[in-house]
Amino acid sequence: MEFFNLKVFRYDPTKDSQPYYKTYRLPVEKGMTVLAALFKAKEEQDPSISFRYNCRAAICGSCAMRINGHATLACKVQVTHLLDKYQTDTIVVEPVGNIKPLKDLIYDMDWVVDKLKRIKPWFIPKEAPPADGKEYRQDPFDHQKIDYASDCILCNSCMSDCNALKANKDFLGPMVISKAYRFVADSRDGAKKERLEEVLKEFNLEWCVRCMECTTRCPKEVQPYENIIRTRIIAAEEGFKSPGEIHAEIFEKDIYNRGLLNEMLLPMRQEGLLGAAKRAPFGIRMFFKGKVNIADFFGGHKVKRHEEVQKIMDKARQMKDKVKIKIIPDVQTVYEDKRKSKKLKEQKA
Amino acid sequence: MLRYAFYTGCSAKGVAPELYESTKLVAEKLGMELIELEAATCCGAGAVQEKDEFMSLVINARNLALAEELGLDMLTICNTCTLMLREAKFKLDKNPEVREAVNEVLKETGLEYKGTIEVTHFLWEVIDAVGLDKLKSMVVRPLKEFNIAPFYGCHIIRPPYLIGYEDPDNPKSIEMLIEALGGNPVDHEARLACCGFHSFWSAEDKVTLRLTAMDTQAAKKQRADFMVTPCPLCHTQLDAMQPEAEEKIGVNIGMPVLHLPQLIGLAIGLKPKELGLHKHVISTKSIIEKVA
Ligand code: SF4
Ligand code: SF4
Ligand code: FES
Repeated sequence: MEFFNLKVFRYDPTKDSQPYYKTYRLPVEKGMTVLAALFKAKEEQDPSISFRYNCRAAICGSCAMRINGHATLACKVQVTHLLDKYQTDTIVVEPVGNIKPLKDLIYDMDWVVDKLKRIKPWFIPKEAPPADGKEYRQDPFDHQKIDYASDCILCNSCMSDCNALKANKDFLGPMVISKAYRFVADSRDGAKKERLEEVLKEFNLEWCVRCMECTTRCPKEVQPYENIIRTRIIAAEEGFKSPGEIHAEIFEKDIYNRGLLNEMLLPMRQEGLLGAAKRAPFGIRMFFKGKVNIADFFGGHKVKRHEEVQKIMDKARQMKDKVKIKIIPDVQTVYEDKRKSKKLKEQKA
Repeated sequence: MLRYAFYTGCSAKGVAPELYESTKLVAEKLGMELIELEAATCCGAGAVQEKDEFMSLVINARNLALAEELGLDMLTICNTCTLMLREAKFKLDKNPEVREAVNEVLKETGLEYKGTIEVTHFLWEVIDAVGLDKLKSMVVRPLKEFNIAPFYGCHIIRPPYLIGYEDPDNPKSIEMLIEALGGNPVDHEARLACCGFHSFWSAEDKVTLRLTAMDTQAAKKQRADFMVTPCPLCHTQLDAMQPEAEEKIGVNIGMPVLHLPQLIGLAIGLKPKELGLHKHVISTKSIIEKVA
């Protein structure tokens, strides 16, 4: 392919009542990033295109935008890769999603900063500085808990594609909660309770739908989704009783008592009698569609070799505090296409 | 004969019995022998994982060890089960100290997690192991008059470091399958979106039902006859909770949702009734009438 189309989201609120798209035809150049393509379009065809950038090396986070529907850093992805990946001759660039666009690809950073301020994203020491005047020291195991979380460059790729934010803009969002985790999990931090209270207001932390979009989008392998879960674990350990905590207890009990979750009794145990009454229309509907196993109302069946399950769960509880589970530096955003590799293996065999 | 250790999960044994039935029927026709892991427990579904990471690793190490006893790869029919089991496997395989601790627990019952099997999903095996050519040759009732909206569901594509079967930005497997069955895949905005299921108990009104409404409306906007999903949790949310979602936004949607094996079953000549199409909350009458 010699040329490709760069289709750019355009919007100038001082002139346009509606956003629109403008397409620029550009030569395909080896190694050209989307940011470089935007520069080329701006320099040679249309000086009015507005976008943010700074480092051009995937460090500052300012060039995040939606490229063919998914948020990423424009200085990190190459044009030829995208054309190949989507089997297309057109690359669509839009501002990050979920956040108000201000002009073309520039979005409202203040909105995010206001959310961020709520969790006090700075170090609040637990103790006075060490007497020797050196830095606050930390055990390596404690440090690795926050190592990846501290790599966040505030690019908002995760906020852009978050499904919970799409449904409700009041959700704090993955970047903000992940940032809260970075401090909540820091053994030197003194504001754990305060920060947890903030992310748990209205159980906001639990609005996350576990779609893993944030972790998939993150260009720095910060694992924002996993950090949200880690924050929930810490909140539970600190004694905060949330719907998620109740839910988890029900699961654990059911696995212990019969191996499987009892979905029929779940509403009542989760929300009490009133909750169950609220769910009655749903239950009746499911019953008439043949989706209800009556036996489940009386506890239901147990999995085979069920006594083994109780044995290991008892033992796991005893051992829990002794086991140190490290965070694995894993998240190669570059996925391995199992389908392709499986075919290759077969061909070789 | 393709043989698998079959992990059913809670939903197919609870609120989506038609998935369990249709999977067994279709698998048999496709030459897949499913040996059910009757001793396996719930995967924790993310709930246990957020309370007690070690406990979730222990119960899933046991699940994996049960498949290892049979020496067979573990076949799942739920996206979340797939992810939870793959996540446990990833952590156990990459973290020898934790694996040792987990095996110390399993020893109580004579089991050991060795890391010898893979966790795979029905969708992937139909494509890779059965093969689309074989599937095409079995189609007796091409689904050519149907516009079918794929709904992947999060946990079969993301996060790529745990799933990695295909490109999470632009997966194609369900479309490939629909085409092999003679149907027309519909491109729609919610193709890779989330159904909202996992925040149901904490944000039903604020998030979950809104997503369910957005997703089903997206398919409707593109004139899909129905949606299809490889996940019973997405199915429960999009089908059984659709009336609540409609109520939430005050719009009538009425979008039928099929399980993946039901879709295959229809094309290879199984009857709608055998496949449990009558068990859906949103009426599948229009589909049943057309295939009759
Ligand atoms: S996993 Fe949670 S925080 Fe991350 S994108 Fe999905 S809903 Fe948002
Ligand atoms: S968590 Fe990742 S995607 Fe989100 S703002 Fe930070 S660096 Fe960007
Ligand atoms: S310009 Fe700094 S991250 Fe792209």
